[in-house]
Amino acid sequence: MPIVIFELPDGTQRKVSAAPGTVLMQAAVSNGVEGIVAECGGNASCATCHVYVDDRHTARVGPPNDVEDEMLDFTAAERRPTSRLSCQIGLSDELDGLIVHVPEEQV
Amino acid sequence: MSVPTTAAPGAPVVDLDLADLRHDPYPAYAELRRTAPLAWVPSVGRHLLTRYDDIVHAEKLPEVFSSREEGSLLLRTVGPNLLREDDPEHRRLRAAAEPPTRPRQVRDQWAGAFERTAHELLDRIAGRGEADLIADFAEPLAAANLALVLGLRNAGADDVAAWSRAMMDGNSNYADDPDLWLRAESATRAIEEAVAEAAAIVRREPDGSVISSMVHAAEPVSLAEIQNNVKVIIGGGVNEPRDVFGVGAWALLRRPDVLDRVLGDPGSWKRVFEETARWVSPIGMYPRQLTRDHEIAGVTLPAGSRVALVIASGNRDESVFERPDEFDVDRPHRPHLAFGGGPHFCMGAWVARHEVSALAWPLVFGRLKGLRPADSPQDRLEGWVFRGLTSLNVTWHTA
Ligand code: FES
Repeated sequence: MPIVIFELPDGTQRKVSAAPGTVLMQAAVSNGVEGIVAECGGNASCATCHVYVDDRHTARVGPPNDVEDEMLDFTAAERRPTSRLSCQIGLSDELDGLIVHVPEEQV
Repeated sequence: MSVPTTAAPGAPVVDLDLADLRHDPYPAYAELRRTAPLAWVPSVGRHLLTRYDDIVHAEKLPEVFSSREEGSLLLRTVGPNLLREDDPEHRRLRAAAEPPTRPRQVRDQWAGAFERTAHELLDRIAGRGEADLIADFAEPLAAANLALVLGLRNAGADDVAAWSRAMMDGNSNYADDPDLWLRAESATRAIEEAVAEAAAIVRREPDGSVISSMVHAAEPVSLAEIQNNVKVIIGGGVNEPRDVFGVGAWALLRRPDVLDRVLGDPGSWKRVFEETARWVSPIGMYPRQLTRDHEIAGVTLPAGSRVALVIASGNRDESVFERPDEFDVDRPHRPHLAFGGGPHFCMGAWVARHEVSALAWPLVFGRLKGLRPADSPQDRLEGWVFRGLTSLNVTWHTA
């Protein structure tokens, strides 16, 4: 099972293990990671599951898909080159050790 | 599955008067959150779920809290539609209808026309010095914008607003008034005709509208499905932006100091929007039906139980929002529930945000100088399933 790390705005880290085949947003929500709101339940329509992928991991995670790219223009916290919607990041063993940063605001 | 029409074993029974709820549901909700966060309310014929955390929990479990509800008035009014479906049916219809309501589409495709319509409506009243901002501005604006996004070029704003009202009345026709059913039926027939006509045109020439998007969807959608879903979108799509506009304007007009600050910082209209939607949710509750036994708020609900997720109450939950009854645009941000959650998250959210917070409020407060409430006794907040202002009478300087 991949282990992923959410770094909160105050610098604390939350390490959670995720079932393969789920998405990063689910790993956050089912472990109560603060700051991942995910209003639309993973349908890429709310932009409230925004994360910044750690610079060292962007290549492993890859770029956003088209719908996601559009939603990322409307996140509450600024969009950066490393921005992704966590509901669009599928988890597999290759992403073990992934670090993402949770933005200050989601709505 | 038969639908239990009584309280689940162990659920407290609380009598609430529908007229009181219509007038002001918030005191009753506060009491329910404190003493009976899941309560069977006989006059409503459902269990009301009123705490923020419980509502969020239910929204995240659509496989238990199903949108398919037997005997739903909405089904009777508009026929099968995406609001009363679960995935994967819901997802197919939503994917077909959604692209034109995504935020980039709103900005690039619709915003210019929205703005022109808002100016036209203001041109009409600007010289008068007084108006009802609901009837003279917010409702026609919402209806015209909705007709545009849906692709109903053959219908005027007045038609769309009237259809919406007739269907909403049918939808809340708990008293089974035959006149209301007749009016709702004639509205839905008119919509069916208008949609059939528009669908035939966009089949040849796609135009980026919701109807066009559904006609050309990757997973096919039938004409009857397009018709029913347009009905349901018209049913909710006028009152939500209209009511957020009205309630937010009403609140600001009563707090000139806050209004001044907002006018000095146009970026803050977004916060006004989210706080208004939290403070008075235009859609206050929606129904769910249990697919299996499930424990929530200390009660085990049997399969088939009817529940109302009272998002208006969740949005005033004191465990989440400090001084929840106050309209406070500076409150620390916590996500509100006004757009619902999970797969049914409001499809019109981005349209409404743009139309109200980027256009309608700034234009009204910018163009109508010295805007003041006329303090008309007719201006009342009303409703609990849907809540908004009956009218918003204002005056301004014309010189
Ligand atoms: S959960 Fe809504 S966009 Fe990811």
